[in-house]
Amino acid sequence: MTLLLALAVLGTLLAGTLFAAVLDRTALPLVAAFGRQRVETEAPDRMNRDLAPAWYLALAAVGLSVVPFAPGLALIDSPVGIVIWGACEALTVVTVFLHGWSPNAPFPLIGAYRYAAIGLPVMLPSMFVLIAAALPAESLSLVAIVESQREIWNVVRQPLGLPLFLVVALALTLRGPMDYADAADIASGTSAEDSGPARAAWQVARLAMLVSVSAIAATVFLGGPLGPVLPGPVWLWLKTAVLMALIVWLGDRVARTTPSRMLGILWVVLLPLSFLDLVISGVLAL
Amino acid sequence: MTDLAVALLAAFAVWTGWRVFRVDSMVRASFSLMLSFVAVGGIGVLLSAPYIGVATVFMMAVEMMVMAIFMVMFMMNPAGLNPMMMVHQHRLSIGAGLVAFIGLGAAVLLSPLPRDPVPEEAQVVAQLGHELLGPSMLIFETAGVTLLATMVGAVILSSRQGRYGAADEGARPPGLTEGGEPAGRRPEGGGGHGHHHHGGH
Amino acid sequence: MTLTIVLLGAAALVGIGLYGALSQQSFVMLMMGLELMLNGALLAIIGFWSLSLGGMPEGQLLAIIVMAVMAVEMAIGFALIVALYRKRQADMTESLGTLKQ
Repeated sequence: MTLLLALAVLGTLLAGTLFAAVLDRTALPLVAAFGRQRVETEAPDRMNRDLAPAWYLALAAVGLSVVPFAPGLALIDSPVGIVIWGACEALTVVTVFLHGWSPNAPFPLIGAYRYAAIGLPVMLPSMFVLIAAALPAESLSLVAIVESQREIWNVVRQPLGLPLFLVVALALTLRGPMDYADAADIASGTSAEDSGPARAAWQVARLAMLVSVSAIAATVFLGGPLGPVLPGPVWLWLKTAVLMALIVWLGDRVARTTPSRMLGILWVVLLPLSFLDLVISGVLAL
Repeated sequence: MTDLAVALLAAFAVWTGWRVFRVDSMVRASFSLMLSFVAVGGIGVLLSAPYIGVATVFMMAVEMMVMAIFMVMFMMNPAGLNPMMMVHQHRLSIGAGLVAFIGLGAAVLLSPLPRDPVPEEAQVVAQLGHELLGPSMLIFETAGVTLLATMVGAVILSSRQGRYGAADEGARPPGLTEGGEPAGRRPEGGGGHGHHHHGGH
Repeated sequence: MTLTIVLLGAAALVGIGLYGALSQQSFVMLMMGLELMLNGALLAIIGFWSLSLGGMPEGQLLAIIVMAVMAVEMAIGFALIVALYRKRQADMTESLGTLKQ
């Protein structure tokens, strides 16, 4: 069973990454990147430069492995599944920072610090909406959170949860309005000095993280594997695919504002909204 | 099996802890410290404290990120890839560290340690929740109020605009050489800042 | 056996942390020493709770309190550093001969 679940996680990650590449229209540039030569910077931190994409990918994999593929079945069936995902989110910020810091070059470093400044306040609404989703389940386990949505999905019960989590998803996958790490305005930021296989690996990891974050959102807000007729994994894949498309579309459509204004929005608008979400779900859970 | 994993993680925690004061850059130091915490979190997960373990990883990732942000403000070289060794009272510190280790280690080895492990079937996360919001509610609430006071205090301490004007007014950067001219920006009018009048307060 | 290993690790962490807190000149590095000592305390608490208290919930509570202490220490520590830097442009312990104005 464990083997089957491990295969399911790996297969989902692989197929999802391919699907994300198609959505993003980056499949060809990704393959082309492999042929290019690698750029060397002066006195880089070699270990972190080479390992950052691997860590990003590993965090995506760990995040996906707490997702239940059928009611009651997850690869890591932990009583604190949602906290594990929270740790993955926090470590993602660290990984993106290290990716920008390690080449020892100006643009990547600017991207890294910009992302750290935005990524930390993004963690707060993320935690509050996830805790709000855990309230009706009376458990931190994702399996229990899925069970608690048999009657009604969390997206209906806590209407603020999913939109706020989509902001978190945009930030974690370095996309559109929340892409303060790799944006074009600072010459693609943390990956400015990346070229060749390293650049491709970073982009693949970024797409894999899109799969994980969508799967978590589908589990927490859309009932995950719950649904009529079709088997559980298929429902999960369908919901994940829809959310991935939605996140990519949002990333393409919504403009990015300046970091300082985004900080204001995060602290003054999104954080109180996530408190409100917590209050609503707490009152309903009583 | 668990023994071996715990021993490895403990060794890793100690080694990364030691690296904190041996690496060249504060960014490396801070993430080395994070790895030490992650190892301790891993030991927590292995020793049937899943919430404490995972929460440690989560908290420390955020905390070390904050530390890295502060570092860019207070480091002589933000990328920080130059050699770095800034210590004082070195011998005394090594001595104190060794004495602490030997003393605590001797206490561990010489005292009979009670043995009463967590029961296999215990619902430890639920127990923690009931404890926090049950018998120990007062302690938990006190921690909450303390954190609130911390937030207020930190904002007041670090706010630039004080009651009597900007907090850094009249501050002089340290010299590049000992007792030398202040480095960095130079006050206009050659040090006569006492005579300036900055508007009426 | 496991408990001994864990506690020895905790003792080593406290020792290294004490060394760092006493020897480092930079405020930021000094705070890392303090954090490392608290890390040792956390490790010892986890070990004792798990292996010799029979799963007493208060043990986990103590670990939570240690984490809160770390957060308070970080926040107030950095706020003090910022305030000091604003006042005296100091980022090293040597720059503070006195606590007076």
